[in-house]
Amino acid sequence: MASTTHVSRGRPDNDNNMSEQRASALKSLLLTVLSSAVVLTPVRAQIEPPQEGFFDVRSAATAMEAGVHELEARLQLILSAEALDALNSGVPLTIELNLEVIRVRRFLPDDLEAELTVTYELEYRPLSQRYILRNLNSGDQDSFATLYSALNNLGRIQGLPVIDDALLEPGSVYRMRLRALLSTRQYPAPLRILFFWRSQWQLQSDWYQWNLER
Amino acid sequence: MESRTIKRAAIGILGAIGVGLVLVALFLLGQTAQNSAEFDRAHIVILLINVAGVVVLFALLVGNLARLLRDYRNNVPGSKLKARMVGMFVGLAVLPLLVVFYFSMQFINRGIDTWFNVEVEAGLDDALELSRAALEMQKRDRLETTVHISDRLQNVSARQLIFELSKLRRESGAGEISVYDRNNRIIAMSSDQSAGSLPRRLTDEVLLQVRQNRPFVSLDPTQRGGYEIRTAVPFGDVNRPDLVGILQAHYPMPERLGSMANNVDSSYSDYKRMVYLREPLKRAFSLTLTVVLMLSLLASIYGAFILSRRLVAPIQDLVAGTRAVAKGDFDTRLPTPSRDEIGFLISSFNDMTQRLSSARREASLSQALVEAERANLEVILARLSTGVVALESDLRIRTANQASGAILNVDLENRIGEFLPDVAKGQPLLEQFVDVAQVHLNANETEWREQIVLRGEVGRRVLTCACTTLPGDEDHAAGFVVVFDDITALLQAQRDAAWGEVARRLAHEIKNPLTPIQLSAERMRRKYLKTLTDEDARVLDRATHTIVQQVEAMKEMVNAFSDYARAPDIDINLFSMDKLVHEVVDLYRAQESGIEIALKTDSDLPKVEADVGRIRQILHNLIRNSIEALDNTTDGCIEVSVSLAEAYEVEVVKIVVADNGPGFHTGSVSQVFDPYVTTKPKGTGLGLAIVKKLVEEHAGTIEAENRKEGGAEIRIELPANEAAREIMITKLPGRAEIRRERA
Repeated sequence: MASTTHVSRGRPDNDNNMSEQRASALKSLLLTVLSSAVVLTPVRAQIEPPQEGFFDVRSAATAMEAGVHELEARLQLILSAEALDALNSGVPLTIELNLEVIRVRRFLPDDLEAELTVTYELEYRPLSQRYILRNLNSGDQDSFATLYSALNNLGRIQGLPVIDDALLEPGSVYRMRLRALLSTRQYPAPLRILFFWRSQWQLQSDWYQWNLER
Repeated sequence: MESRTIKRAAIGILGAIGVGLVLVALFLLGQTAQNSAEFDRAHIVILLINVAGVVVLFALLVGNLARLLRDYRNNVPGSKLKARMVGMFVGLAVLPLLVVFYFSMQFINRGIDTWFNVEVEAGLDDALELSRAALEMQKRDRLETTVHISDRLQNVSARQLIFELSKLRRESGAGEISVYDRNNRIIAMSSDQSAGSLPRRLTDEVLLQVRQNRPFVSLDPTQRGGYEIRTAVPFGDVNRPDLVGILQAHYPMPERLGSMANNVDSSYSDYKRMVYLREPLKRAFSLTLTVVLMLSLLASIYGAFILSRRLVAPIQDLVAGTRAVAKGDFDTRLPTPSRDEIGFLISSFNDMTQRLSSARREASLSQALVEAERANLEVILARLSTGVVALESDLRIRTANQASGAILNVDLENRIGEFLPDVAKGQPLLEQFVDVAQVHLNANETEWREQIVLRGEVGRRVLTCACTTLPGDEDHAAGFVVVFDDITALLQAQRDAAWGEVARRLAHEIKNPLTPIQLSAERMRRKYLKTLTDEDARVLDRATHTIVQQVEAMKEMVNAFSDYARAPDIDINLFSMDKLVHEVVDLYRAQESGIEIALKTDSDLPKVEADVGRIRQILHNLIRNSIEALDNTTDGCIEVSVSLAEAYEVEVVKIVVADNGPGFHTGSVSQVFDPYVTTKPKGTGLGLAIVKKLVEEHAGTIEAENRKEGGAEIRIELPANEAAREIMITKLPGRAEIRRERA
């Protein structure tokens, strides 16, 4: 197993940082403007559940196995009360792992060489009273008696092949980064509008990045 | 003007962008709210567009509202109408929108609520419970089967294990049975799948539970959509935990049972999901509807502003145009907005201002013509030697020309607007003039003609006077105009001409017989004096002497007449007045008549241009006249002064001869220059008449008056040179005739 070097934690790339900041600012602006509109609606305001979930990449590293860089990562995934409520109400949750391979360039902006998204679907089946964790990329699925074990299983990534070393330029320096997020893409459109404003549905870890050892 | 157009264009573009954004946003919102794979990426943009539309419209509305309020408070024309129209439009647009909004909200809420039913929910719960119970039995059976398999494999040798395992799997109906040692390594496996398939791995959950010596059983959905029962039990000698492995068996559910379980599971899940999503869906639809409402509301209010502005703009233009016309700006033209009634109104307004403008142009043209005519008239009046005085009906002076002032000896030009009788106070000539005029006016005579004789200190003036009514106009009421001419000089000239004619005839008719009379008398005397007695001779001598003497006197008189009538041509030369005066005065001083003659001349008296012979005669006549006047006076004194002065704006030589004699008779001062007017016993009465004639031939002026301290004074002003004479001829009435005569 190749050794890994931890480079930085919680220090995302500038471009993405900017875009995230913009998105955040935009959200707060839209929230402020439309708050009056929401007030006009006859829906009763719900009391926010106290539990705030969070996604965090605890550690991540790649190791080369037979010329393929494989990911080893530990994630901490805690669902918010709203997401948990939705899950237990039969709403499947989609959790994405975004993985990016970035070529570091000295004078030019860094180049995104490859990106991989691994999508998991977490579902509660009331009949069997088990949580089903489905890898939508591979189609594999496992069932778990508890949510904890399902999330724990999901948060323990071992030997996930990321990229063939032959595809990378020899001599170039590469950086990798990983994040996990709760995707609301699969929900009906009206719900997505609503979830867009709710922080409990904005579960997304910071980018965790490290240098690719070759 | 330009910046206002740019501002308006900018607001228009902003408004168009706002409305465009709203439409795009509404369209996208409608599209994406139904379904769209790209919504996740697009919905931020869509919301941004919506919000931008709302912000733009809101900003425009605030600006418009602020302007409307400001205009309303400042009473800007059209603002009240605009406010009313905006209110009306907003009311028309907002009320239906709010009604639609209310019913839409109700529809959404109730529509979503109708999806749910308590009985359905209870049925689903029951179905789930029932399914669970049924499956629980299956799980228990399968677990027992697995335990049984484990027991049967206890005493099987490792070599026989595979065969026994396959046999038991087939007997039990399991899909896969695998055996793991205490290190979780696989020892044996039997599967109904084709060779080469990998055994299922042991999950943490299975390991944890079995290692605690508890059997594991679970119902797992398969990837193919069915269900399987997974079981795991300890395998080996239970008394030696360190040697115990795990036996895991998977039992597929019968297809029909699996399908039914799946239906129950998915129906229950779907229903629960819908229940969960009920409120968020309501909220999401409400939010969308609210955004749409806000956009529509703001857009319609803004539309109300635009519409009312467009409707009111021509009216505001019209008000501004009317005000401009009221202030006298007839060149105002308004843009014609449309062909409707307002367009017709504005077109009529433009026609009106055009006509007003051309009417004003014509009026100012005719006014200019009138002004020009008036100016011409004033010039003519100023140049007229005839006096013209226009009076209001209340005898205030409306206008008067220069000649009127000169004739009446009052500066009437600068007294315009004053009451004529007031102006006349202290002015003897004007007083007499006003008296005559008032007699006619009091008798309501507005058209009259009369010759007036005015008596002044320096003589009398004869005026021919005509009065007529002056028609009134918008500035003035009806009045009178009095036109008068100073015919004194004319009359004098006529009189002089008559006297000249008389003189010529006398000279001719009288002088001729005088010589024979004289000769006859002398012959008679010479012939008969010696023949007669002394007494008779004395009588004859006295008689013939008297005849001869009287004939001589008569001849002298006739010669004087002749001189008066036949003046030689004037001969202008440059000579020293100072020297001439001294010569003449010295001649009279030498006669030692007992009268003192004082002479006073300016030291800087220049040479003058005049007829030296006539000037000498003037001096002789004046001094002799004074000497004759002082005949019976002791301490008689004559003062002669010659000085340079300015009169009628030209340089004149002023000659004053004064004495301390009896002076003129008070009543005849004005006639002293007429022929045969004398106060002296011996005078011919022609001396001063000749002097006046000579002075007038030089275009000069002569005045006679009695001195306050006693005696007479005669003042003569003669132009010092030819240029001054020319000017005085133009300024003095009556002199032009003299000039013509001279020419």
